[in-house]
Parts: sequence; C-alpha cells; structure tokens
Amino acid sequence: MSYPNSDGPVDTVADTVDDHAPVLVVKNLTTTFATPRGPLTAVDDVSFTLRRGTALGIVGESGSGKSVTARSVMRLLPKSNVTTTGEVSINGIDMMALGPKELRAMWGPEVAMVFQDPLGSLNPVMRIGDQVAEGLRIHHNVSRKEARAAALQLLRQVGIPSPQTRLDEYPHQLSGGMRQRVVIAIALSCGPKLLIADEPTTALDVTVQAQILDLLSDQQTERHMPLVLITHDLGVVAGRTQEVIVMYAGRIMERARTPVLFRDMKMPYTEALFRSIPKVEYPSHTRLAIIPGRPPTMVEPIRGCRFAPRCRYAQDRCLEEEPELTPAVDRDHVYRCFYPVGTPEGEQALEINRSNGRLTPEGELIGVS
Amino acid sequence: MAGTGKAHLRDPEQTLLRAEDLVVEFPLGAGGAKVHAVSGISIDLVEGETLGLVGESGCGKSTTGKAIMAIPKPTSGSIKLDQVELTTLDDESLRRTRPVLQMIFQDPISALNPRRTVRDIIAEPLVVWWEEEEGRPPTSAWLEAYGRVFSRVAAQVIRPMVPLLTLLLVAFVLWVTSEAAEDRAWEGALGWTQVPAMIIGFPSLAAVGVIGSILGSMGLIWLALAVMVPFGVMSKVLGKVSPAVGLLAAAFATAVTLFMIWRTWNSFAGTAAWVGRAFVIAIALPVVVWFLASLLKPARAGATGVALALVAVLMLEVFYVSGLDGVPKLGAFVLAAAIDIVLFRLVRKQAGLRAAELRARAEPKVREMLETVGINPDTSLDRKPYEFSGGQAQRLSIARALILDPKVIICDEPVSALDVSVQAQILNLLEEMKARYGLTLVFIAHDLAVVKNVSDRVAVMYLGKICEVARPDELFANPAHPYSHLLLSAIPHPDPLIEAHVTQVAADLPSPVNPPSGCRFRTRCPLAQERCASEEPVIREVAPEQFVACHFPLVGEAAQ
Repeated sequence: MSYPNSDGPVDTVADTVDDHAPVLVVKNLTTTFATPRGPLTAVDDVSFTLRRGTALGIVGESGSGKSVTARSVMRLLPKSNVTTTGEVSINGIDMMALGPKELRAMWGPEVAMVFQDPLGSLNPVMRIGDQVAEGLRIHHNVSRKEARAAALQLLRQVGIPSPQTRLDEYPHQLSGGMRQRVVIAIALSCGPKLLIADEPTTALDVTVQAQILDLLSDQQTERHMPLVLITHDLGVVAGRTQEVIVMYAGRIMERARTPVLFRDMKMPYTEALFRSIPKVEYPSHTRLAIIPGRPPTMVEPIRGCRFAPRCRYAQDRCLEEEPELTPAVDRDHVYRCFYPVGTPEGEQALEINRSNGRLTPEGELIGVS
Repeated sequence: MAGTGKAHLRDPEQTLLRAEDLVVEFPLGAGGAKVHAVSGISIDLVEGETLGLVGESGCGKSTTGKAIMAIPKPTSGSIKLDQVELTTLDDESLRRTRPVLQMIFQDPISALNPRRTVRDIIAEPLVVWWEEEEGRPPTSAWLEAYGRVFSRVAAQVIRPMVPLLTLLLVAFVLWVTSEAAEDRAWEGALGWTQVPAMIIGFPSLAAVGVIGSILGSMGLIWLALAVMVPFGVMSKVLGKVSPAVGLLAAAFATAVTLFMIWRTWNSFAGTAAWVGRAFVIAIALPVVVWFLASLLKPARAGATGVALALVAVLMLEVFYVSGLDGVPKLGAFVLAAAIDIVLFRLVRKQAGLRAAELRARAEPKVREMLETVGINPDTSLDRKPYEFSGGQAQRLSIARALILDPKVIICDEPVSALDVSVQAQILNLLEEMKARYGLTLVFIAHDLAVVKNVSDRVAVMYLGKICEVARPDELFANPAHPYSHLLLSAIPHPDPLIEAHVTQVAADLPSPVNPPSGCRFRTRCPLAQERCASEEPVIREVAPEQFVACHFPLVGEAAQ
C-alpha cells in the first residue's frame, strides 16, 4: 500500500527470518454463553497455531462454533453473558489480558476481520473513502489528505474500477461484490498482521465469490499475512488454504494440511460433510448422502463423541467415551475418532453397523431424524 | 448471448407450463427509465420435469419465477398453464389457479408467519379453499367488503386528517361545555353528538343515515344510499376503478362538500361560530385539494375519488340527521353505535368459528403432510416457526406448498440459506416429493452443482435473457455458451488439486437499466466480436437438445 508501513508488501529480511514463529497461538480456548436454559459452551477447548504467510480454513456446519472462535480470538464478544477462558496471543501479545483501549489499538494494525454481510458491516451514511480512511486516521494519525490518497490506493489494490469516483460514493451505490471489496480494503487499511475472514463469500454469487477469494489469496501472499478463512463450504477452503480445521459442536474434530485432508480424511464427520456436497461431476439426480439429525445443543454436557449420534461408524464405545485428538501418519494431521475413515477399524465398524441394521445396504444411517 | 428466440420450446400440446416472450420491466424514477429485469424469456415444462434456472444475482431468474406466478404480472408475454392463458385472467380467476401453482421461497423463516402455530400455517391453504368451495357465509363477505372500503378510506382520507380532527375535537368539547348551557349548540349543523360517531367510524355513520331516515320518515332513498352504496356497490367498484370514474366521483364529492359548506356556513351562531366553520373547512379541504390534484393527474383519482364520494355521501346523511331535534338525534347515534358493535362482533365470531371448524377438519391432512416432509406432528403442531431450525422451517414451507396437491411448484433458491448437510436433506426431500406427487418443478438457484443435481433441463440466464438451454449432463460437460463456461469455471471444487481457473471477468454485471446492445453478455465475453454488438443472437440448436443464443458457440459446427 502507499502508506508507509513496516509490514507492507516489502518485507524486511528480519521478517522472513522468524517466518516459523507463530503469529496466532490459541490454547484451550473455551467460550460459554449464559442462556436461560443454562450455560452453552459454543467453543470447547480449542487449540491451534498459525504461522506467517499461511492460510487456515475453519470449516463446519452452522452452530459448530467457528464464528464464535474467530470472535473470541478478536475479543469481539460482549462481556455480559459470555465467559472466555484459555490463551490467545497474536504476535506474542496476550489478547486476554488487554483492556478495551488496548484492544482498540490491536484491531486494525494487528488483527482485522472481514464479515459475511458486506452491507451490514459498512456505514450506510458515510462515504466509502471516509470509511476506508477511518482506520488510518485513527491508528496512524495521518492527515485527511494523506488518508484519502491511501484510501484511493487501497481501493485500487482490491480491484475496484474507477476508484477515484468510488471514494465519494455510498455503500448502496455498489454491488455486493464491490461492497465486499471495500470491506476487505478497510480490513487491510492498517496493514494487519493477521486477517480473519468470517464467511466472506457466503452472500455472493459464484463468479463474484471466485473473484473475492482470489483477491484474498493475492493479498495474503503479497503481504505475507496469515489468513483465517471461516466457511461452511469445503470447496472454498480446498483451493485457497494450506491448513484446515474441521469443527463440530465447539470442538476441533480434525486438523490437517489441506491436500492431506482432502486426500486422506480420517474423521467420519469430515467425510459426511464432503459427501453431502452436490458435485458437478455427479450425473444429475444423484441422490445426495445426508448427515441425518442436527448438531447437539451444547447446553447439556455430552457423553462420548459429539458426532456419534449422526455417525455411520459409531459403535457403543463412541457413545460412552470421547476420543482424544490423535495424530495420523502425516505431520500436523490430527483427528478425534476411534474408527477413522479408511482404516481397518473404520471398515470393520461400518461392517458391524451394516450387519446390525443401523445402516442401509448403501451405507446410509437409518432411524435418525 | 442473451438472445431471444423460441427454438428450444417444445410442442405446446405436450407442455404443462409455457412462458413465451416474458418481459418484466420496473419503472425507475420520473425520467421514464426502466429496469429491464426480464427481456423476452421463453421457457416450457412438460409434466414431471424439473427446469433449473441458473445465473448470477440480477440476471432475472427470481423475477421470471415470480412473473410466472403473476406477482407482479409480467409487462408483456404469455404464460400458459395447462393451455390456460394466465396473463389475461382477472385477479379472482388468477387466484383460483393458485392451488395448482405453488411457490417455495428462499428464506424459510421469513416466509412463515411467526405469530401462528405450525397447525394453522399448514392448514391455511386448505381452509381458504374449502371456504371457497363450500361458499362463505354471506356475513363474512359483508365483513370483507366493509374491511376493504374502510381500510382504503382510513388510509387515504381519514388518517391524514387525524391530527387536525383531534385538535378540533378538543375545541369542540370546549365549545359545547361553554355554550351548551345556553342550549344554542343544538342549532349547529354539527352537533356534539356527531363527534362520537365520527370516531367510531363508518358503519355507525351509515346506520345513522338509516335510523335518521326512519325517524324522519324520509322514505327509501336514504336507506338505499346508506346501506347499498357503502357496502355493496362501492366495494365492488373500488376494486377496479378507472381514472374517469374516480374523477367523476371526486367531482361529486367536491360538489357535495361545497354544497354543505354553503348550507351550513351561516347556521353556526354565537361567539364560537368560527370553531364550527373551521370544522367544516377541515373536512372539506382535503376533498377539494384531492379533486384539484386529480384534475391534474386523472390517473391518480381512481379508488380514492370513489372513497371520497363515499365520505361525502355519509356526511350528507350526518347533516341530514343533524336537522333533527336534540334527543332523537342523540338516541339515533347511540343506537347506531350499539347496533354496529353488536353486528360486527357477531360477524367476526361467526367467521372465527367457521375457520376453527375447518382447521379441525384439516388436521389429519396436516399431520400427513408433516410426516411426509419428515417432521414429527405430535411435537410440532403447536410450535411456532422460529422454534425450528432453517432446514426444518424449509420442510414446513414444502409441506404448506404441497398440501393443496399442486401440479407445479416454483422453488426460488430453496436451499441457498441452508448449510451443506441440510441442503442435501432438502434436495433429497424435493426429489422424493417429486416422485411421489408427480410434481413439475421450476428450480431457481445460483449454485450450479445444486441445479445440476435436481434438474432435467437447465436454462442459463444472463441479464434478463436466456443464454443456453440444455440437459444438465451435456451442459456441464460441454457448455456451448461462453457465459455457461464462465459460470462453470467459477465453481469452487472441494478438491485442492483442481485449481480454480476463472476466466478473467472484466467487470461486474452491466446495469439492467441500460443493457448492452446486441448480445447482452458481450461486455464480459472473451470471444466477443463486432457482430455481437450489432446483432442479437437468436436461440438455435447446436447439438441435440442443446440450445444456445450465441454467434460463436463453443459447441457445434461453428465451434473451433
């Protein structure tokens, strides 16, 4: 970007040296909401790290805790009714220890977020240019004129045509895809060291989705900035992340490098998610594999594996005992299952379920709705 | 692309639903600009077929779906359902086609009324049509007519006057209390006893006319005016007034009003005469203003003109009654109000009882539908929509659409708001329902994989035109239109080894207010030539059952 910033696209040598130092460390993160029915644990003992320059995908159904994880990391959740425990550090700064003022200083220059609904995250009565420049004016204390020039540069970077005229327009004058580009420009304005994108393309068309994902990937490589990409679409994370976390009912179910996950998924939940996507390669009228039932409510404590009631592989043991995160052959690949997909144990579990009538001959679960 | 033509349509004898040259335009501002949402779409469906409509947002796919339902009616074009032309039907006949033609919307939660239970929501279509078949009690027709007239008058005439009326009411009460002792208020054309009647509203005023005419032995003219005019004739007329009728009515209302002003202006006496005069002016002013305005724009006179005429007639009655002496006049008003309230209650109660009876009769069918769509009726009948998850709510919408046993269902992005796993459940359910009830579906979606999964035929749309129509397997294997190719290349594959090769898209969708000349896709098309700007391509068959509107298709003998 045009604004002088040590963490801009031109990296210093010193930056590349500690490339393997994690930018984001999350340890035993647990977030609980107080609800009338009792405490609801939306994120349960989640730990992961993220290195410079990598993109991490977090995938799961709605209610799996992926967005709450992101908001807990950002400390964006309201104080009342929410308790967050565990450790979160961004570039060595302990987020949990920061007060409101220090957090404000973090949001923008250190960590920034792109939200799902671009119209909802833009101020409808403020000019685009002012919104993009706002972060710069606050965090870098630059003059109005300089901020405007920087905003222009940012709009150009995120691929907005005729940025000069767009600066003085309002959000409603832009299309959905252009609005999301503006939101990304705002998030990038202070040169964040970590970018979290929460379902950035869910509200958009396929063609626009491809453009926005390309833009995020480009910016991520160009700025050497780590990216957390939250989505429910396995197709979105497949081409654009190096590592994927699959979440279910507040827990990490599987974590692996992206090619490994798609080639060699171990977790029945990941497999079920994958199987339920209608794929273009299938002939039309292919019957889709479904995940029957619904995710647990997470108000009552759950015994055993959280996915067991909806799982094709589940055995009696799964209902009693929760599996730990187990490492697989590949480095960095962990999963949480006693009967992993594609292993002799898993095949055997499927066979048992088929013979005792839990599965149809085609291998679908019966009797859960 | 994006051309016109009907080469892809089949024999009209075979098709169940057929839309030809559908055009939908929305006016934009005062300059006469138009949004060309749909510009000459032709589609057809044979019985039991699923047609997928796919395209980016803004391509007009939802507008096409709604135009088929005639919400709103298309600007031009023809829609034939079972050989019956829908576009020329009047509102009532169109309404009668609804059981055959149903719709499922994108957002299940907002498509279901949050204040009603599942039992009522699913039974509603049945209850409405049973009432229709068995004939409604005459009283509820009366009630409805009253409701229609009153809501129109209330919205357009009474509501804008409320602040003024309130102010004058206060002044009136003060006037009455100060002057009643001298017993002079009775002389006024507007005695204080009329005020409550003004508040209670319409039927009381009408009844005042009736009772006044009886008390005054004035014969049947007033009776007819008071009863027939407001509730019979006028409610019918209000439905479809022409500008001329409206203008005439407004002129009549103005004449009556001016007549009343002339008659009553000097009938006010005493120190507070100006209050009474102000009251008359306050009532008359909107009428006169409206009349002058409708002279300038006759098209806007319409229903409001008739409503105003109605008000004027009722005011005449009031003025007539005020010619009576104090005590009978007071009696007339009290009696009118009492009759009005009792009657109203009775009618409403009867209508309510009737609906409850029909709902009870519908229950077995409601239970059956819920079970069909995979919802347990025992636990769900008395719950409200917001107590369900998105997937379950979409199941409820499907049950509601199915309960009338329709032939065609238009599904407008039914799975776009749902998670992948739930999406798969709903898609499977739609397939099951289709097999079970022999449904014909129009499936609108922007997700190509979803469209491919459910469709027998796919129409790709762009900026209000059709690009390509083909069987899904052929379309996805060999897209013939550059736009279909672009859409397909943009799909994110759940496989990291397949890199997304998106053909560089130059810009956003052009504005549908000024669509490009010739082929509408040319501004973004990598293959565009000069010919594409000057000449609009016509749909033609480039391979068996693959139709494309493009000068340079990627499939067929022209392809290189």
